[in-house]
Amino acid sequence: MRIGVRRTGGFAGIERYAEVDTSGRPDASEWQALAEEAVAAGRGTPPIGVPDGFSYQITVDGKTVYCADPRLTEAQSKLISQVLTEGA
Amino acid sequence: MTQCDIAAMKATHPVFCTIVPPHVLDKLAQADDPALAGPARRTLEADAAQRTHRRLTTVLGAPPAAPPADAAGDKPHRTLYDAQHRQELPGVKVRGEGDEPGQDATVNRAYAGLGATFDLLLKAFGRRSVDGNGLPLVASVHYGENYGNAFWDGRQMVFGDGDEIFRDFTLPVDVIAHELAHGLTQYTANFTYFGQPGALNESVSDVFGSLVKQYVNDQTAEQADWLIGAGLLAERVTGVALRSMKAPGTAYDDDVLGKDPQPATMADYVRTGRDNGGVHINSGIPNRAFYLLATALGGKAWEGAGQIWYDTLTGGGLQVDASFTDFARATVAAAHARFGDGEEQEALLKAWSQVGVPTG
Ligand SMILES: [Zn+2]
Repeated sequence: MRIGVRRTGGFAGIERYAEVDTSGRPDASEWQALAEEAVAAGRGTPPIGVPDGFSYQITVDGKTVYCADPRLTEAQSKLISQVLTEGA
Repeated sequence: MTQCDIAAMKATHPVFCTIVPPHVLDKLAQADDPALAGPARRTLEADAAQRTHRRLTTVLGAPPAAPPADAAGDKPHRTLYDAQHRQELPGVKVRGEGDEPGQDATVNRAYAGLGATFDLLLKAFGRRSVDGNGLPLVASVHYGENYGNAFWDGRQMVFGDGDEIFRDFTLPVDVIAHELAHGLTQYTANFTYFGQPGALNESVSDVFGSLVKQYVNDQTAEQADWLIGAGLLAERVTGVALRSMKAPGTAYDDDVLGKDPQPATMADYVRTGRDNGGVHINSGIPNRAFYLLATALGGKAWEGAGQIWYDTLTGGGLQVDASFTDFARATVAAAHARFGDGEEQEALLKAWSQVGVPTG
């Protein structure tokens, strides 16, 4: 499973992208469960964000959903933070 | 009359007046080709404007806390919360108005920054808080883990402690004031947070952010550094700040962060679907116009240039989807009403002309 997170906006307006490929990872099933939960709560179009808030685009195996601060679900927030920290 | 016109006339609910499905619009809007992205973005923008309006109505109808009895007076009413590194707002209350400073420097800085912003609005412009009616000021600090950002959520300010690139967002007082100024804009011109009106929204926050810093430091326009977020970049980043109003595009040039993308004139205006249509990028243009006016007039920037910007923002003559040109023309009218045909008028026309925004 390939999980990509694109973060845009923010006070600085600087974009970040990171991706994790879970295949072959010992924790692949945890990633998969988290990603599915995060995507299920996402929107098909970008929500209107708040001033200086981060906007996120989560892509899991080709399917893309959107969400924005400060209204993330716990799964979205956890997935985003894990991908941006561990991903390349 | 189309069905959309009819729907728009009785628009108590959001109206979606497009036959293009939202997901297709979204794809187009993300396209790198501006010819494709432009029209799709404009449609999404109209939708965004409606939702912003709804959010404002919500906020106006339900302020975060009841103003105290003396709210009509000349004192701020601040409440600080500690989000304790979670992402739930507001968090735990740690300091109320009039409480003694505690051990947490971040809380104390935010408290002081809100006070300084309240002071400038009151002393320079006679305005009581961001809504003109004593609105309580609420901020949460220590938001999230490794969180390099600050934002205004429509009701309150939120500050992160930084990450590998940014330090604590309460460090620069202009960043605190920038966030609070988003509240000022929301309660006045309420520029839609997308494209040119979005860049105006951002620029107004930078202008008032910088004015508060100059006010705190008792600086004239010549003495000010005109930087936004000086001291915010981590040591390893090559740069002096996040933005420069004096020289947009020169604040940083770093191997990880890239180069400051701000244009200084309309000739270099950046068309993009990213960052809500480049709101933090093209704000460089009106930012520099303000800097040019303030330094041409000299002295304390909030007295001349700041007054004109404040009058423009609060004058009620601008639509929420105002363009740079609309805004520039409104500043000319505001300057005329306030100062007549003096040096302000001449300096203002010159400033807009130098950044390539027509006023005629
Ligand atoms: Zn902003």
